[in-house]
Amino acid sequence: MEPIKTEILVLGAGPGGYTAAFYAADRGQKVTLVEQNPRLGGICLNTGCIPSKALLHATEMLREAKESAKRGIAFGEAKIDLDKLRAWKDSILEKLGQGIKGLAQKRGVQIIHGRGHFEASQTLRVETAQGQKFVNYEKAIIAVGSKPAMPSAFDLGNKRIMTSTEALEIRDIPMDLLIVGGGYIGMELGTVYATLGSNVVVLEALPTILTGIDPDLVRPVSRAAQKAFKEIRVDTKVLKMATAGRQIKVTMQIDKEQREELYDRVLVSVGRVPNYTDLGLEGTGVTKDEKGFIKTNPQQQTDDRHIYAIGDVSGGVLLAHRAAKQARIAVESILGEASAFENIVIPAVVYTDPEVAWCGLTETEAKQKGIEIKVAKFLWGASGRALTLDRPDGLTKLIIEPETERVLGVGVVGAGASELISEGVLAVEMAATARDIADSVHPHPTLSETLMEAAEVFYGTATNTLTRKDSSQH
Amino acid sequence: MDVRLPQLAEGVESGTVVNILVSEGQEIQKDQAFMELETQKAVGSIPSPASGTVSKIHVKEGMEVSVGQVLISISTEKGSTTTASSAVTATVQPKSQEAPPPRQRQETGDGDLRMMADYRYESQAGAPPPAAPSVRKIARELGIDLTRVKGSEAGGRIALGDLRAYIQRLQQIAFEQRAPIAKGPATPTPAETRQAEAVDFSQWGPVRREKMSALRRTVSRRMVESWTTIPKINQFDEADITSLLALRKMHASAYGKKGAHLTLTSFLLKAVAAALQKHPRANASVDETTHEIVFKDYFHIGVAVDTEAGLIVPVIRDVDKRNLLQLSQELHELTEKSRQRKISLEELQGGSFTISNQGSIGGSHFTPIIYAPQVAILGVGQGQAKPVVIEGKVVVRTLLPLCLAYDHRVLDGADAVRFMKDIIAGIESFSDRDVKIK
Repeated sequence: MEPIKTEILVLGAGPGGYTAAFYAADRGQKVTLVEQNPRLGGICLNTGCIPSKALLHATEMLREAKESAKRGIAFGEAKIDLDKLRAWKDSILEKLGQGIKGLAQKRGVQIIHGRGHFEASQTLRVETAQGQKFVNYEKAIIAVGSKPAMPSAFDLGNKRIMTSTEALEIRDIPMDLLIVGGGYIGMELGTVYATLGSNVVVLEALPTILTGIDPDLVRPVSRAAQKAFKEIRVDTKVLKMATAGRQIKVTMQIDKEQREELYDRVLVSVGRVPNYTDLGLEGTGVTKDEKGFIKTNPQQQTDDRHIYAIGDVSGGVLLAHRAAKQARIAVESILGEASAFENIVIPAVVYTDPEVAWCGLTETEAKQKGIEIKVAKFLWGASGRALTLDRPDGLTKLIIEPETERVLGVGVVGAGASELISEGVLAVEMAATARDIADSVHPHPTLSETLMEAAEVFYGTATNTLTRKDSSQH
Repeated sequence: MDVRLPQLAEGVESGTVVNILVSEGQEIQKDQAFMELETQKAVGSIPSPASGTVSKIHVKEGMEVSVGQVLISISTEKGSTTTASSAVTATVQPKSQEAPPPRQRQETGDGDLRMMADYRYESQAGAPPPAAPSVRKIARELGIDLTRVKGSEAGGRIALGDLRAYIQRLQQIAFEQRAPIAKGPATPTPAETRQAEAVDFSQWGPVRREKMSALRRTVSRRMVESWTTIPKINQFDEADITSLLALRKMHASAYGKKGAHLTLTSFLLKAVAAALQKHPRANASVDETTHEIVFKDYFHIGVAVDTEAGLIVPVIRDVDKRNLLQLSQELHELTEKSRQRKISLEELQGGSFTISNQGSIGGSHFTPIIYAPQVAILGVGQGQAKPVVIEGKVVVRTLLPLCLAYDHRVLDGADAVRFMKDIIAGIESFSDRDVKIK
């Protein structure tokens, strides 16, 4: 059979892959997109960002309804129809998946469904339902993403032990749910299940949940989770899991004491691993870094000059919007333009309740690297809008370079932090100073004012809070 | 007071902090060493210019620091107004980030120009130069280093106008540099060299002009590049090839039957490849952009060939993996191809070392020019019978004049001597078994 000839081959149709394919097609390239799943969109659309946010939004209603009683508006007991909830969630995925497919077709991107395997530097074999196909390409972009890590000790083949993929299916509402790993995935899904009524226990091996995030941004999340969850245990390790009838017996170590407990379901959320097994990379010049991710240069090019890698499989922070940015850089590099993944601000968001979002330099990082900074904080208790939303549990802060007053980083915790952070990204990318933010008029009453107020705190002139200039110094 | 990195030695502009000997809050005496710094020349300690208390350490171990950079701050008992004493000739400047001391360049005395050449954006937080993504994109496309561009906006932010002004100024400088040529500049730039060549020689007698061939121009450009960028040293020695010549005589006809010429260069290739394996630095290159030495795990050796059109250097791949017969055959083939101008570009690339053997024409010692980005080249003259003292007796032996030219950025004198000695030992120790066709 004649091999298919294409200019740019993209392997994987997640947010990195389809962005690369579409951008390359828009720039006049002949593009072939290979995806093993019937629905395009990758982890983000199918078993990641989108379904988890749908469930978080739906369950948030439960919490709002409950809290509403104290504001004088009471509802009856909520009825949960899991099948309907799941169907609603799935309908979003289907709509978005079809949308991507339609956009691909309009651009003339050829889609092949099947597993890709590299035969050589410029040849990919695809195992499709109609048999093998070979694609010869000039350049390839690997965007196969990552998958939830499942330590072999926990992998008993028991469906009650889940990763995020299965947890998003919400087969039932377990009475007792154990979440192993207090990172963002564990905390987000814990929020969903706790709101639906599960007794959620989170185990974290490290001394704090959401490790790596500034402690003052984590604190409101911890406080809320301690109320919503049954328990959060830090410094605790899971030693063993075993099937015990219709439950899972979990042996854990707290300090020096061992404890056994029974759970209806266990969610393992201990990180993610790259998805490159069986890709046939050994037949190419692609190499891996010490953590097992594909090694690339700032142009996203691997050690094989015909092959680029973007997104989760290339390591770093595993975020969809980072993959999409790298997709554009890879395509521009292939087209011979000066483009590089350097000094690019990648915001991060944790969709807990309240949400946490940050970008640029963090206080934690500054402390680790011995960088001298000033931190200007504005507590939401002084924000009119936060009080009208009944959400005073928030904080907005700016990380500022002292001598230039340049904003190096922004951190927000609070309701809607995910939307607020974009102003922070713009500020850091544009090298704005605190004065720039303070002098930009923000509409009243909004949560966005907290950014302006934080900038005013830096100068000791915030309207809604009393600060002496030196009290905000780090 | 801020203690800055003093000028350490001529040509030494920076170094790496290997050891910090004090901690913050510690008392320090005048002339007490507070830091060890590794430069390309040596590891040296930096003495304190004053007594006092170390109030802040600005650098970390492993950090690269440049002359003029603040290393530590000392609070003296008299207060912080004291300036650095003459114990170290530190350049103390008012506190500002745009003030590393002037580099050696002394242009037309244009202060504005010097300020521009010296400006370098530095952020204590390690942040990139402040500029919007759109401005950064334009700079990247034009290949402009934004750390060199001074921003005019709040916080030093670089606006598009700043970038434009910078480029216009660069262009202006380029023109200004051409202007004073008539006055006879101290340091000729490439542009000036071109000017200098435009002398009218015919005023002293008849002349004939001939266009330089493309090859000649390439050779010319590469030699100038090598000569002006590589700090090179020449190392002379001689190898005793009496027994090697006897071996060659014995086996030459057997090689001839296989269509190969058993030449001295074949032996040299073999000996050099063996020595390169023992001395990987001689087979390396310098990556100026990353400050790294690139070691090559392959041994592709170029051989300079004299052709009618000029010098051509074909490369023999994986010399270490071939026997003398294969080398002789390939060498002959490449030499012929070069002379007939049938050599492909690929066969001229990828060399990691070069041998230039003038022996067949009859040269003695000469100093070859390194074929950048390689770091060493072996120049070989014609073997000559000479009286040699062996075990107290004068005997006649054939000695081969050798000169190793090497890049001092990568190889030190001692390295080079050891490398040369291993080449000579290799040349002198060929045995019948090495040469015999299996």
